[in-house]
Amino acid sequence: MARQGRGASGHRLQRGELIDSLDEIIRIEGGQVLATLIRLTGDMDIAEDALHDAVVVAADVWRRDGTPDKPGAWLTTVARNKALDRLRREAKRHPKEAEAFRLLTEPADSGDASGDNRDDRLRLLFTCCHPALSPESQVALSLRVICGLTTIDIARVFLVPEATIGQRISRAKAKIAKAHIPYRVPEPHELPDRLRPVLATVYAVFTAGHHAPVGELDARVDLADEGIRFMRALDPGLRSGRYARATRYRSCRIAA
Amino acid sequence: MPRYAALIYGTEPTPEDMSDSGKWDKIMQEYFNFGEAAAGVIGGGEALQPVSTATTIQVMGGAKGGDVVTTDGPFAETKETLGGFYLLDCKDLDEAISWAAQIPGAWHGKVEVRPVIDFSGAS
Repeated sequence: MARQGRGASGHRLQRGELIDSLDEIIRIEGGQVLATLIRLTGDMDIAEDALHDAVVVAADVWRRDGTPDKPGAWLTTVARNKALDRLRREAKRHPKEAEAFRLLTEPADSGDASGDNRDDRLRLLFTCCHPALSPESQVALSLRVICGLTTIDIARVFLVPEATIGQRISRAKAKIAKAHIPYRVPEPHELPDRLRPVLATVYAVFTAGHHAPVGELDARVDLADEGIRFMRALDPGLRSGRYARATRYRSCRIAA
Repeated sequence: MPRYAALIYGTEPTPEDMSDSGKWDKIMQEYFNFGEAAAGVIGGGEALQPVSTATTIQVMGGAKGGDVVTTDGPFAETKETLGGFYLLDCKDLDEAISWAAQIPGAWHGKVEVRPVIDFSGAS
């Protein structure tokens, strides 16, 4: 899977280039990897820790062996094993971890990989935008878990203290776990109600991207991109008028 | 399996409401229907007598054995009061919400859905 010590362009990556490349890969692939891990483990914190551990390993191994052809799949495999190790250790003490361990060690189904991946991200999106979470929590959690923004980035965009965002996200994750908010894409008959907070969150993400302080150009563009990416993750048949306006607006801004 | 408390809040029926037996019977029938439909998930529950029958006690001094202060009424005077509760055994919050939405209290007032602590360590 790995090329010997060479990056995509064929030359041996220097350390600085590797770090940039790793950051970029995580920015692009991280959301998908995390969504898959959450499906596999049923636990956001375990999934995030496992991804973090996999990134640490990647920084080491990719410098030595080069960036793999499919970095997302590589990260998913390593993170899955990290999660497995942890759950195996904890399964003896906690029935919930034992159940997660059992799910994780079941043979992977032979379903269409890209279909599963898209479902994982959608599932995560609907979970982060569950109506049992407050609107502010929905947006903060979605930005953190799906877009991979740091709490500092999110705080800066919404002009609230970092501690506030941190608490909001912790409480939202705790609620998902303690109240057993399920990780699932709603049934068709549930979609009209469940879609509303998702669209509101996407719109908030997109709008925040356009109204971030002028100096934060990168954050602005990234958030606007994320807003559009969210919308693309939803079934095209569910596209709202807001999406059409948003994409036209963004195209104009980029052209300007 | 997770268990949820469905706490039923609403304005208490007035004496006029109580004497309107048609209205009262209709509500009782609604609760009966819920009990039948949800029999598979109901793990317990009770209807409570009105708050006029409530007594609130507090032990002073922050430790067991202190003075017991007894007061007539609920712990807080609120417009909407706790009228009863169900314990629902459901696989996740979505299922709990969909059952709670069938409790008559949800359309006559509000129902708070809160997970019960599982001391066996499974959550």
